[in-house]
Order: sequence, then structure tokens, then C-alpha cells
Amino acid sequence: MTQALTYTHYFRIWVWLVGLIFLSVLASGLLPREGALLVIFAAAWVKAVLIALYYMHLKYERWQLAAVVLIPLLLVVGLAVTLVPDIVIGHGK
Amino acid sequence: MEQASTLNRHIATPLSTSVPTGKLGVWWFLASEVTVFGGLIACYILTRLGSTGWKEAAAHLSLVFPLLNTLVLLTSSMTMVMAHAAVEAKDSHRLRTFLMVTVLLGVGFLLLKAMEYSREMAQGFFPHTGLFWAFYYGMTGLHALHVLGGVIVNLILLLTVPTATETQQRRVEFAGLYWHFVDIVWIFLFPLLYLT
Repeated sequence: MTQALTYTHYFRIWVWLVGLIFLSVLASGLLPREGALLVIFAAAWVKAVLIALYYMHLKYERWQLAAVVLIPLLLVVGLAVTLVPDIVIGHGK
Repeated sequence: MEQASTLNRHIATPLSTSVPTGKLGVWWFLASEVTVFGGLIACYILTRLGSTGWKEAAAHLSLVFPLLNTLVLLTSSMTMVMAHAAVEAKDSHRLRTFLMVTVLLGVGFLLLKAMEYSREMAQGFFPHTGLFWAFYYGMTGLHALHVLGGVIVNLILLLTVPTATETQQRRVEFAGLYWHFVDIVWIFLFPLLYLT
């Protein structure tokens, strides 16, 4: 019974993931560019969080495990943001 | 002398964490992968924002193959986590079934990727065609190599350990963590390359 419930639970998450994929595709075709980008990347982050929390079981793990991957992620984001003035803004000069 | 004794005592005492060492190791490995793919994606975004003509190049890509591949990879993630649930419930039959489906879906992903590459190359788009194509082949190629690695690991799990033992339970969990990470990477590559 418990096992069946687990499988159902994982299947429900999969339905959400597939739904979000189709939402992204629809947004890219129907919405104006800025709106589409917002929806597409918001959906991508939601999908990633759903997988991390429920398929990788981070929801039930100690927070330190999440920190192990979040710290390098923040470093990468920080590096990209720091380089924006040189590569993106500087390019227009 | 006393210092040496204290040191020996420290070395002899196993590290005590509530997270199993193997799992912690897998998560550290995934952290290193975050820097690899994260760095590559950051370079792609910055280079794309700093130059023009990328949208036109991306328009040559077909949406059918990557959309199918996304569905295949998401489904394989579900079957992988179900394999983990099966091994925890000591259900060997379901474990083998879910692992086999995961392996087949992984192979399906690679076949679809190969078909997509053939299509692009038949149209004259190679890694040296332009910056977009260099990033496209580089990022998707590196990802495909990771999928191949995951398929091999899952296949070894499927072939070598036929019963749902405790060791197998841990191995399936670790392989699953890697497989889900590869899925998450694709979740970002798909919109970055095909939808924007």
C-alpha cells in the first residue's frame, strides 16, 4: 500500500514536470519575448526544484546536503554577474 | 610523543556524520559538476548577451527531437526514483523492471540526440560553423556523455546485482542522484538552446 502510494506520488510529480515543459513550449510560441523568457525560466527552476526535492529526496535530507550544491551554484551565478559589465555592457562600447 | 598519540587517536576515530559517507561523496561530485555545467551555461549566456545573431542560428534547430528527449529524460528520472523505491521495499522484480526501463530510455535519449546531430550536420551546421553551434555541440555533447555514463552505471547495476540487497539499495540511490542531476542539467539546456 505504502509502496503504491510512493509510485503514485512520483507519477504525480512527473505529470507536473511534463505540464511545465508544455507550458514553456506554449509560452515560447505565444507570449512576447520578455514574458516568454520569464515563464520559460521560472518553469525551468520550478522543474529543477521539484526534481531535487522529490526525486533526489532533498526535502527529507539534512540541509547541509543542499548547501553542498548550492554554494558552487551561487559562485557560478556570482561569477556570471560580475562579468556582465565587461562582456555584455562593454561589448556595446 | 603525546601529540603523536593524540593524532593517532584522531586518525583511528571514524568521522561521524549522520549522512552516509558514500552519499556525501556523490553530492560533492555533483557539486563539482555544478561548476562544470554552471560555468559552461554562464559562458553561453554572457556570450549570447554580448553578441548578435544567435536567435537566427537557433531558429535552424528542430524542436521535435529535444522535446521528445525532454519527455524521455523526465520519464527516465521517474523510473529511476521508482527503482529506488522498489529496492527499498526489497522488491527485486520491480527493481529490475524499472532499472531496465531507465536504461532503455537513456539509450533512447542518445539515439534521438544522434538523429538530431545528423539532421543538423546534413544541413551544414558543424561545431566550427559559428559560436552558437560551438556552444550547441559543446553543451549538448558534454551532456550526452554524462547520459552515456549514467546508462553504463545503470546497466552495470542491472546486470551485476540481481537481488535487492542493502548494498544494492545504496548503489541505486547513488546512481539515481547522478541520473536526476543529469536530468536537471537538460532542463536548463532545453530552454536555453531551443526556446529562446
